[in-house]
Amino acid sequence: MSEPERPAAPNASDAAGRPKIGVDEWVASAEERHERSRGLGGLVSRGWEGSPAEAKLIVFVALASTLPFWMNEGELFSYGLYTLLYALLALGLNIVVGFAGLLDLGYVAFYGFGAYGYALFSSNHYGLHWQAEASIPLIVLGTAAVGLILGLASRRLLGDYLAIVTLFFAQAFVAFVNNSNPKVAGEGLTGGPNGIPGVDPLNFFGFKLHSTKQYYFFLLIVFSLAAVGLYFLNNSRTGRAWRALREDPLAAEAMSIPVNRLKILAFMFGAGTAGLTGTIFAAIQTGVVAGNFDVALLITIYAIVILGGLGSIAGVLFGAIVINVSTQFLAPSNDHPELKRWLFYGAILLIAAKIRPWSRTAAVFVGTAAFGFVVHAIASGISSDWTNGTVVDAGSAASAIRNWVIVPSGHTGFQTWAYIVLVAAIVVTSQLKGWWRMAALIPTLYWVAVVWENVLVQQSAVTALILFGVLLIALMQARPQGLLGTARVEIV
Amino acid sequence: MPMLLRLSGVNTYYGQIHILTDVDLEVAEGELVCLLGGNASGKSTTLKTVIGIVEPRTGTVEFAGEDVTGKNTSYRIKQGMAIVPENRRLFAPMTVRENLEMGAYLLGRAKKEDFERVYSLFPLLHERRNQLAGTLSGGEQQMVAMGRALMSQPKLLLMDEPSMGLAPILVERNFEIIKQVHEAGVAVLVVEQNANISLSIADRGYVLQTGRVVLTGPAKDLLEHEDLKKAYLGR
Amino acid sequence: MHLPLLNIIDTVRQLGWGGAFELLRNGIVLGSVYALIALGYTMVYGILKLLNFAHGDIYMVGAFLGYGVLSILGGPLAPTIAMVPLILLMFLGGMLGSGVLGVVVERFAYRPLRNAPRIAPLISALGVSFFLANSALLLTHGERFNYAMYQLGGDPNTGLPGPLNQPAFSVAGRPVTVVQVLVVSTSIALMIALTLLVSRTRLGKAMRATSYDREAASMMGIDTDRVIASTFFIGSVLAGAAGVMFGLYIGETYYLMGFLAGLKAFTAAVVGGIGSIPGAMVGGLLIGVTEAYAAGYVGGQWSDVAVFGILILFMLLRPSGLFGAKTIQKV
Repeated sequence: MSEPERPAAPNASDAAGRPKIGVDEWVASAEERHERSRGLGGLVSRGWEGSPAEAKLIVFVALASTLPFWMNEGELFSYGLYTLLYALLALGLNIVVGFAGLLDLGYVAFYGFGAYGYALFSSNHYGLHWQAEASIPLIVLGTAAVGLILGLASRRLLGDYLAIVTLFFAQAFVAFVNNSNPKVAGEGLTGGPNGIPGVDPLNFFGFKLHSTKQYYFFLLIVFSLAAVGLYFLNNSRTGRAWRALREDPLAAEAMSIPVNRLKILAFMFGAGTAGLTGTIFAAIQTGVVAGNFDVALLITIYAIVILGGLGSIAGVLFGAIVINVSTQFLAPSNDHPELKRWLFYGAILLIAAKIRPWSRTAAVFVGTAAFGFVVHAIASGISSDWTNGTVVDAGSAASAIRNWVIVPSGHTGFQTWAYIVLVAAIVVTSQLKGWWRMAALIPTLYWVAVVWENVLVQQSAVTALILFGVLLIALMQARPQGLLGTARVEIV
Repeated sequence: MPMLLRLSGVNTYYGQIHILTDVDLEVAEGELVCLLGGNASGKSTTLKTVIGIVEPRTGTVEFAGEDVTGKNTSYRIKQGMAIVPENRRLFAPMTVRENLEMGAYLLGRAKKEDFERVYSLFPLLHERRNQLAGTLSGGEQQMVAMGRALMSQPKLLLMDEPSMGLAPILVERNFEIIKQVHEAGVAVLVVEQNANISLSIADRGYVLQTGRVVLTGPAKDLLEHEDLKKAYLGR
Repeated sequence: MHLPLLNIIDTVRQLGWGGAFELLRNGIVLGSVYALIALGYTMVYGILKLLNFAHGDIYMVGAFLGYGVLSILGGPLAPTIAMVPLILLMFLGGMLGSGVLGVVVERFAYRPLRNAPRIAPLISALGVSFFLANSALLLTHGERFNYAMYQLGGDPNTGLPGPLNQPAFSVAGRPVTVVQVLVVSTSIALMIALTLLVSRTRLGKAMRATSYDREAASMMGIDTDRVIASTFFIGSVLAGAAGVMFGLYIGETYYLMGFLAGLKAFTAAVVGGIGSIPGAMVGGLLIGVTEAYAAGYVGGQWSDVAVFGILILFMLLRPSGLFGAKTIQKV
């Protein structure tokens, strides 16, 4: 009776006695949920995964090229150009986090290096006005070198220590460019809080880019090249080594994969990409200030990479589209203010439509509508100043909203309490089970509308940031692999 | 003899991997049962299923006449189970006394009698009570692990590979202690690779292979069983 | 030739011993706030091996809660109750509110990820931190709320400082104010209480057992989920206390205050040796004093850079910190 050959079961506790089984089981269950995703979403994502990479790229470029023909200049700038810019920036982060499993929270600092670098070499600041074909390669190499230095300094750090060092590094970068403005060559180096204005447009061999359209096509080309380059990089020996590294750093080391060199390499590639994006950003903005490189941008880029899926190039693009479009919808300067309302309510409806069976979904919606009218009637019965506040940016839906949602005027502190009550209501609802949950969902959904109309809509840019935070938390639980990525990324 | 522990038709999975298949196992009150099997045969998983760290997908775990499937570990320990984990798993940065206290965690404050009972079984632990558990030798650590499990006066003591990583002389001492505990009226379920020594003190035995019970019977019959001799006893 | 080093020497000479003492005093007061925050980091890291980015924001919420209690009771200009119960209530509100928030955060953002690869809870923590900071931005419109130290119980007409800002005693002619004594003594008291809790009580021992080996602890019947929730509660209570202290001492709260304070407190935890409670206290003081001297002798904008330098230095030379045991990564 000999033991048959069979791969070691995951319960074979390791020498230290701490079972790895937990992680394996968790990943397996996350992937299982992924497999089960049916319907249109599942079909599209499986169809996408099945098609070859060249086809994906061609489809994307073809679709993206049509944008300038049906969007006006402003729309192309905010929806087209910025999506590509974010996507390019996120590609670099994806190398570091998604390919190599390094939790780099100082990533935006490299973007800042690139932007400030271009602003120094090609602007009125020092009057240098270098051509882009000279300054961009120099800056990309320089940023990669900074990445090398930070990588060298933190090569011995494990996962979360690396995260804190890089986060602190980013903070130190912003503090430096913002507060200290050392005199170099008779001029403050960073311009302090004013930043550096008057940056040149990109200028290759005398050919100047000046319209949004030109920048858009330029970025499209750069992004496509970078994506192709990364695709080959990911499938090269180095890419496979990175994969080994992120799935099990210790095993990788035991297989004599040069862990340190790979980490530093990933850092350099990421930094270089960020530097390149920074130069383009500085040119588009025709100026840089320290505030462009804050934690909000870091979270936005992380949200893109995580939503799209760690380690997936196509995912980065998806993430960039979703995140940038919603950011732009929620931006205060949006030309179509009613759009943000539709986006918000649409998202809420989509989430609520996850309730099964359908009859229950319908019951919740009808219940919420009825609940709203009852509350509104009671509130206006008590005093008219509970319902006579101004509805902001409502457009055509204004009267419907005015008769359903309570918008008080002159009750100071209502906004704060309304928001806190909403957070508490969501906390409580999620803890309830069965019918109780359904019952709690109705007032909670209504309260979402109240808070939106009273608080969030007025500060929709902040709302976008709050929602990105929530998105990160929710994604980690519901779908850690994002739309197209892998759940199995261990930080190194 | 009334049954203390009964596993019926237990199937346990880790993710999609099927670990235990239709395992039936019984331990009577005051009985010493050993569960034999090689690497990756599912021994530890059986034990984890008994104590409630892993839940079976199908099948039931009954303890002291009650269905405890789906109940958490704390509940089962309160009902009278205790475990000496594989590799002892002591809390190395805590003192011997504190380790023992953790064994009686569910009883609230650990009682003096419990300490004395354990110290009388292992007088050495009384001497070492203020020493950090991580600084003890392997044999002493095994005593702490046993003492920790006995603090809660269990009806059923679960032992996961008590011979692992110990010198042969210590293994023998260890099994003597197990025998001693058993003779005091505590039912014991020992999970072991070392079939010889465990069968020599056990009343009954089970043999697991790739997650299935392939052999079962009184210990002395198993000792004579041809297959088992070839596979484990080297005769 | 203009040498910055000469500048520093000049400043040191100018400030003299009295100035050096003042900087030390400021550093110790600030350091005891950092130490309290660092304790929460260290405890959570010890038990979950999770870097809880949201911890700094819980501290920020604590400061706002303290302000909330203050403003409900009439605000700094016209408090309706006596000074001592007012301050006690502020501490109570800040600590309890933060504690509950910490437990909720753990329940929502971390518990479902207990067995996930380590990157998942870290990203979740980033999300929580961002959610809390921006919620505060939403509700405060980015305003700085003023605890108004000088007026708290003082005279708004003459602008005379309130009792908290009166000197308690002086050293070398330099005053140490009541609030400074309050901050340092409260944090010492809390640290002693925590040390006793962890070393003596049943919960404390269960916390140590769980942080050493979670599965073994659950095999002993310890409800590890509850122990972890308690750890978050205690850590967050300390952060809330730190928030109120900072508000009383510096005088204002701001939605972004948690971010940098969190980074510095984490640095303190690393310097002391992550997972070590005395380490967090010593690390906090070291960071506070370093920051004060860097600000006083070199310039305010360099204080963050100095703390960052210390972090890098420790990471490279002694990653296990002052009190931490050398950890061997388990395979």
